[in-house]
Amino acid sequence: MKFPSRVTAAAVVTVAALALTACSATTTPASSAGAGTTGGTLTLGSLVDVKSFDPAQAHIGHDVQYFQPVYDSLLRREADGTLVPMLATEWEYTEDNTVLTLSLRDDVTFTDDTVLDADAVKVNLDRFRTGNGPDASTLAQVSDVAAPDATTVVITLAEPDPALLDYLGNADGFIASPAAIDGGLIATDPVGSGPYTLDKAATVAASQYTFVKNPDYWDPSLQVYDTIVVKPIADTTAMVNALVSGQVNAALLTAKTQAQAAASGLTEYEYPTDWQGLLIFDRDGALVPELADVKVRQAINFAIDKETLLTQVGKGLGTVTSQPFGTNTAAFDDSLEDAYAFDPAQAKNLLTEAGVGEFSVTMPTVSGFMDPAMTAGIAQNLADVGITVNWENVAVADFRSSLIQGKYAMSWFSLFQGSPWVASNQIITPNATYNPFHTTDAEVDDLVTAIQSGSADEQKTAAASLNEYVVDEAWFAPFYRPSQIYFTDADTTTTPQVQQAVPSIYSYAPAT
Amino acid sequence: MVSFIFRRLISGVVVLFVVSTLTFFLLYFSATSVARNILGDTATPEQVLLKEAELGLDQPLVSRYFDWLGSVLRGDFGVSWFSSQPVVESILGRLPTTLSIVLVTIVIAAVLATLFGVFAAVRRGWVDRTLQIVSIGASAVPQFVVAIILVTVFAIGLRWLPATGYVPLSDGFSGWSASITLPIVALAIGTVASTAQQVRSAVISVLSRDYVRTLRSRGLAPTEILFRHVLRGAAPAGLTVLSLQFIGMLGGVVVIEQIFALPGLGFLALQSTTQGDMPVLMGVVVYIVIIVVVVNLLVDLAVGWLNPKARVS
Repeated sequence: MKFPSRVTAAAVVTVAALALTACSATTTPASSAGAGTTGGTLTLGSLVDVKSFDPAQAHIGHDVQYFQPVYDSLLRREADGTLVPMLATEWEYTEDNTVLTLSLRDDVTFTDDTVLDADAVKVNLDRFRTGNGPDASTLAQVSDVAAPDATTVVITLAEPDPALLDYLGNADGFIASPAAIDGGLIATDPVGSGPYTLDKAATVAASQYTFVKNPDYWDPSLQVYDTIVVKPIADTTAMVNALVSGQVNAALLTAKTQAQAAASGLTEYEYPTDWQGLLIFDRDGALVPELADVKVRQAINFAIDKETLLTQVGKGLGTVTSQPFGTNTAAFDDSLEDAYAFDPAQAKNLLTEAGVGEFSVTMPTVSGFMDPAMTAGIAQNLADVGITVNWENVAVADFRSSLIQGKYAMSWFSLFQGSPWVASNQIITPNATYNPFHTTDAEVDDLVTAIQSGSADEQKTAAASLNEYVVDEAWFAPFYRPSQIYFTDADTTTTPQVQQAVPSIYSYAPAT
Repeated sequence: MVSFIFRRLISGVVVLFVVSTLTFFLLYFSATSVARNILGDTATPEQVLLKEAELGLDQPLVSRYFDWLGSVLRGDFGVSWFSSQPVVESILGRLPTTLSIVLVTIVIAAVLATLFGVFAAVRRGWVDRTLQIVSIGASAVPQFVVAIILVTVFAIGLRWLPATGYVPLSDGFSGWSASITLPIVALAIGTVASTAQQVRSAVISVLSRDYVRTLRSRGLAPTEILFRHVLRGAAPAGLTVLSLQFIGMLGGVVVIEQIFALPGLGFLALQSTTQGDMPVLMGVVVYIVIIVVVVNLLVDLAVGWLNPKARVS
């Protein structure tokens, strides 16, 4: 039986159509401005999608690349963390650090022509602290925001907050047009005074957000590119493919995708923002009595083979450590890095000295979130000194809350390394997020008070002392600081931002 | 025919009700600390409680269910707990991406599977054996492996097509077709392979029927027998397989959407499940069930049109 010619023709047409479809449009590469010039398009890959453009819902970290184009912040954090003027030209604390006065620029208008003034700032700060957004609690110490005149904002604090200025240079400080907020569409139609505006016609939600240059912007030096495109790509393999194939100019990768990008001749940046290790919550021994003994906690520190874990899990991209505070903080002490070098014999000695026989501890594990090599390594290392780990599967969405609610005596975790005050409120103070058993003592209380209320020098000294104390007392068992693995293509250069997962948009430029 | 459609629509509504109700209660039992996840690590217990009350999580389960059902019956699917975006807007924004991929894949699969299946059934011999071996091989390779190979060759190596992203059809046919070509090929290979096998078997089965022998003996041209009689008899099997492939693809496309970073319904469902974003997840479930019911109805109508005996049954 032979096929009629029209069937053959149909087959040919189908195949040809597929071929034509494949060839009809070649990849549109992310285009940068030429070397050393301005203009062009900067296309960034982002591991997260923006949930809302409402500045009250802004979040630190990855989110800033969506907010910075459209919103100016009150202060601006330079790449090294230095605070410089943005919407606020000057700022000053009272002597007791409980009243902060900001002086605003008087020549800024939002892109809907509303004038920026102190009332607009008050509206935004009040919305942020009462809006139930993800970072609302960072303004928990703010008791009042006043606007005595058009260019002056007075922020009154219930207690000093050493991190407030940093917050105002980050998510807390983004200022939207009050008229746009009243319009009720700020979550999808952002209106700020930033260097760019969202081009909704060229934006596809969850796929591509296009920001075009604001022609009336008050500081053209921050508008290096004509257009900034941010592409949310949650899958790390898809991200490296987008980068290597030229669809994006820059992106954050992971240790597992680093090799492919490095082999493609892209420019690599490595910088620490987090630490990983064990949080030993139950320091009073409520769930596991053995953990109340400092020698047991020290034994856990000595038992972990950090170098191997970094090699196996983090592909060797990071730095082994024994301290929870970051390198760019006053608390950091280089001599503490190897305070607990891998020494299982010493671990066993300490357990013997503590009079502790074999015991077990239950820890949470999250499929798809925790690397199996990490859980296997921890379990093996601890088993080798007589501590049995019982892993309990937890849904990823329940993981953090299970730790915060004190369901576990200890857990592996990866934590952001902020300033000493931020870190203290994260893991050390009695009401810290990750101090679910509220353990503390007089020395910790004194040091924390000094960090909060002392002079600048006193804060630095107290931070270093607090770090030394929690390392000696083995409140935690840090493994290493994994490197953030950031890549740019040959046309783009950037400067990593201290204490931030990705660079700020002001830190990109065409490569020279 | 009208009563047939009416009966199928009624059964579709029942399916929709049962599936959505079961999903709602199952989600409750796998409930996560959604308020804490929305507010972040630093939220105080008071803020968490406030958020739970705002979301209605402090209400009894049955009351929450009837609130949700009542709103849905009024056409109000609510807003995302995480983004505050209206659920319908969120779903309709994702639907074109997923339907672009799935529908075009199904059309391509229907054409190619019919060609290959019929060709193998008619020619038999080495052509048939080759098709079967290739089909088994193509069906055995996971779609994500095909996808990664395609990206490596055509996006990274040759740079003919984009590795990630979706361009709406409204932005131009060229960009749209380029953005969906690799995902479609990744999905189509296995779909064509398995469907072609089914078409082949169905055609062979029909070719051996008595009425086909009778037609041959009456001197009808082989092509007329094939295209007017055999294909009509074999089509219901092919259509059924394609409808099952379509339904399976709606669920399975999430892997392809992740690999190609496509803002589709599958990824939205995965994301809302992971986060515990109940309004969005329930909305996705309702929309998918509606699509499945409609597709099944269309397939039943097509089968009935092709095969009068099916209308009676």
